[in-house]
Amino acid sequence: MTAEASETPTGSADGSTVANLTATSTAGSADVPPELLAHSLDQYVRAWWLRVRSGNSGVLPVVFAIVLVAVVFEIITPEHAFLRPSNLVYIFGLSTVYMVLAMAETVVLLLGEIDLSVGAVALFGGVIAFKLVQQPGPDWPWWAAMLAALACCGLIGALQGTLTARLKIPSFIVTLGGFLLFSGILVVILGGANGTAGVNSSVPNQRVIYNLVQGLIVPVVGWVALAVVVGAAGAALWLRAAARRRQGLVAPPASVTAIRIALVALVGVAVVVVCNGNRGTSLVTVQGVPWVIPIVLVVLGIWTLLLQRTRFGRYVHAIGGSPEAARRAGISLAAIRTWAFALCSATAGLGGILLGSFFFGQYSTNTADPGQLVLYSVAASVIGGVSLFGGRGKAIHGVLGGLLIGAIAYGVSLLNLGTLATPLEYILPGGVLLGAVLIDVLSRRGTGSVTGA
Amino acid sequence: MPEVPVAADPGETPTGMADATTVDLTAAHEGAATDVPPELLAQSLGQYLRAWWVRVRGGDSGVLPVVLGIVVVAVSFQIATPKFLSPLNLVNLFEQSTVYMVLAMAEIFALLLAEIDLSVGLVMAFSSVIVAELVQPTGANLPWWVAIIIALVICSAVGAIQGWFVARLKMPSFIVTLGGLLILEGAAIIFLKGALVSIGNSRFTNEVVLYDIFYGQFDPVVGWILLAVLVGVVGTGLWLREARKRRHGLETPPRSLTAMKIVLLAVAGSAVVAICNVNRAHFGTIKGVPYIIAIVLVVLAAWTVLLQRTRFGRYVYAIGGNPEAARRAGVRVPTVRIWGFVLAALTSAIAGVLFLSWQVSLTTNIIKTANTYVLLAVAAAVIGGTSLFGGRGKTIHGVLGGLVIGGIYNGLYLLNVSSQWINVVVAAVLLVAAAVDVLSRRGAPRQA
Repeated sequence: MTAEASETPTGSADGSTVANLTATSTAGSADVPPELLAHSLDQYVRAWWLRVRSGNSGVLPVVFAIVLVAVVFEIITPEHAFLRPSNLVYIFGLSTVYMVLAMAETVVLLLGEIDLSVGAVALFGGVIAFKLVQQPGPDWPWWAAMLAALACCGLIGALQGTLTARLKIPSFIVTLGGFLLFSGILVVILGGANGTAGVNSSVPNQRVIYNLVQGLIVPVVGWVALAVVVGAAGAALWLRAAARRRQGLVAPPASVTAIRIALVALVGVAVVVVCNGNRGTSLVTVQGVPWVIPIVLVVLGIWTLLLQRTRFGRYVHAIGGSPEAARRAGISLAAIRTWAFALCSATAGLGGILLGSFFFGQYSTNTADPGQLVLYSVAASVIGGVSLFGGRGKAIHGVLGGLLIGAIAYGVSLLNLGTLATPLEYILPGGVLLGAVLIDVLSRRGTGSVTGA
Repeated sequence: MPEVPVAADPGETPTGMADATTVDLTAAHEGAATDVPPELLAQSLGQYLRAWWVRVRGGDSGVLPVVLGIVVVAVSFQIATPKFLSPLNLVNLFEQSTVYMVLAMAEIFALLLAEIDLSVGLVMAFSSVIVAELVQPTGANLPWWVAIIIALVICSAVGAIQGWFVARLKMPSFIVTLGGLLILEGAAIIFLKGALVSIGNSRFTNEVVLYDIFYGQFDPVVGWILLAVLVGVVGTGLWLREARKRRHGLETPPRSLTAMKIVLLAVAGSAVVAICNVNRAHFGTIKGVPYIIAIVLVVLAAWTVLLQRTRFGRYVYAIGGNPEAARRAGVRVPTVRIWGFVLAALTSAIAGVLFLSWQVSLTTNIIKTANTYVLLAVAAAVIGGTSLFGGRGKTIHGVLGGLVIGGIYNGLYLLNVSSQWINVVVAAVLLVAAAVDVLSRRGAPRQA
């Protein structure tokens, strides 16, 4: 199907632009974003569908999987409890660490490398931040403690990146060593096998860190914030498309932009409605959007901008696609790789802080298993649609994949499976990971770029 | 002794040798001179040592770094704690290392193919659960050997499935075995039925046999007899093979070297048996060579022969060196790859039997710790001298690397160092070994 270039502009009889564009990108036509080929909504949808069929399905499979998982668990959980607002909010909190770690992992996967240390580095960063705000102790302001933790993690990443990029030790081994190293050092910093580090919600400085995941936004503020976000994002999207159109650049049809803005508003309203419902008991009112949702959105926004709109992002994609071609184009492979590992580890550190906050501000050696964290986060990015072979993936894939992993994990725990619950915690992500990679491999095979036809 | 980088200049290689045969051989291997085993270049012991040194400097240092590593570990821990080199501790150390050794030997099959198998630790745990459950008197109550065979067969099948995914569907081995690891972890916990399984009941013969695999030992006299038989058989075999090669006019190492190898084997063997035959019990008597040493030697011998002397072994090295070249030479690459994963899983299953015997009872928590074993297995293989990039490595590397890991664990434990620092040290050793691997590859002429 993809081998024939003439197939690409399906049904678009108008405009020489389309024909020209297709002609120049003969073999890789399936890789051209539909924005560039379409002039109307109808054409856009058709171009998009063609792209999906050729293997570049983007977020479609993972969104489909999330819907499927939600429906299935809603049907099979006792009392159909899965989609209750309290559970939905809890699932988001549970998924946060996987989302953030998966976004961290995405940048490294884009390079065609792997970082097995994200779990250990995350916990390391979390423990450092928690230790630095202890009251009889350093008693740093929360923001300084968090920045110090992120800087430490970034430094670790830079070190691992240097070993990979300059000494050319495979990233798999460097980060395996880093994983062992920081799982060990983490326990030392915690103060031995029984050590703990906690933040107390009654101390103002520590409460900020406690509230990162546990804190709620007042319902009215939630609505105002949503209006601001939708307004800002919508205006930016619309103005950018308009600017491009004015300057004669290729832009998606106006209807597509409008649909996108409407979609953002719709999802946002749904989230705020769910979160603002009272999910407490008859005695205690619990309502409001958790702080962690805007935090994840900010991280997502930063990573999306970094990967899609900056030179760094373009270089990362270029190196992932073909390192040799990138090198010949004058990109400093070592510098970009080192930066990618540093940013990955810094993001992982943030994930660790959020993880501690999710566990009610308590860190102990049993809080999370760093090995399982890294397995889940790699699984989350790949499930989300990031390719293991480099060059293909977005930050949003990490968020969606993390949500899917969290939903599965929580859904299984709702099922009262008794002795079968623990094994399923391993088997399901394993199966989902293999399924996702299988799709990745098969879809790569479907595209012209791999078969080289 | 040439001081310039030898590998870069083929003319330098036949250091100080005027012999015609040598010169011809080197000419034929231009550029790859350092890859030629010193046996082929040397006519006397002196020449052999020199050729070997050239090879080491060219990056193919074989077991030299890891042997040095073992000496460094032994000396430094002996200085830190006088208990380290006591007979009791040496036997303990070796016993504790055996699981790492066998797992590393398993991992080497994957590494030689330039793949990775992350599931070895969980295949080990899975196999140990199967064996333990099948011999339970209240359950299946199968004889111990039937249980072991069933476990080995099931685990080999798991390896075949993983290999099929890698070889036929071209999925990265890293991910296939990561997924396999997760699924096996769940499966092992299911088979465990959430309860504790033990083989520690001395009233049941099956459980006693399994227990003795790790904790039993040969009678001291039997130990000496076995050593004599081993040295006799290996020595005769080595000597006769070389005599035959010499008779046929093939290249052989100098006689003095063969004699030295046999003497070395006898001396090392005698040392081991002598140490093991010292009474190492605090109360009563425990002496003799542990069964487990013999088991490791059998696995080592079997896999060494398979990799070094059979067509399959040559194919494994060929694919690890250059898969495309191997394919064009007519090697059925996917089949060999699948078999590589089967052998890795089979060897891990053997490690599982040792693991069960070592732990005596299994719980869900023990299954969960099996994750760390794969890291130690990769570390042991790489520390031993097996390359991460495929095509270079031997089974013996797993044994030596496993000994280093076991030695570090044991020594730090004696020093009362907490387990997290032990991980830190192992990580540092792994990184150093990987750096040595990378740098030595860079030194090799193929890369230049």
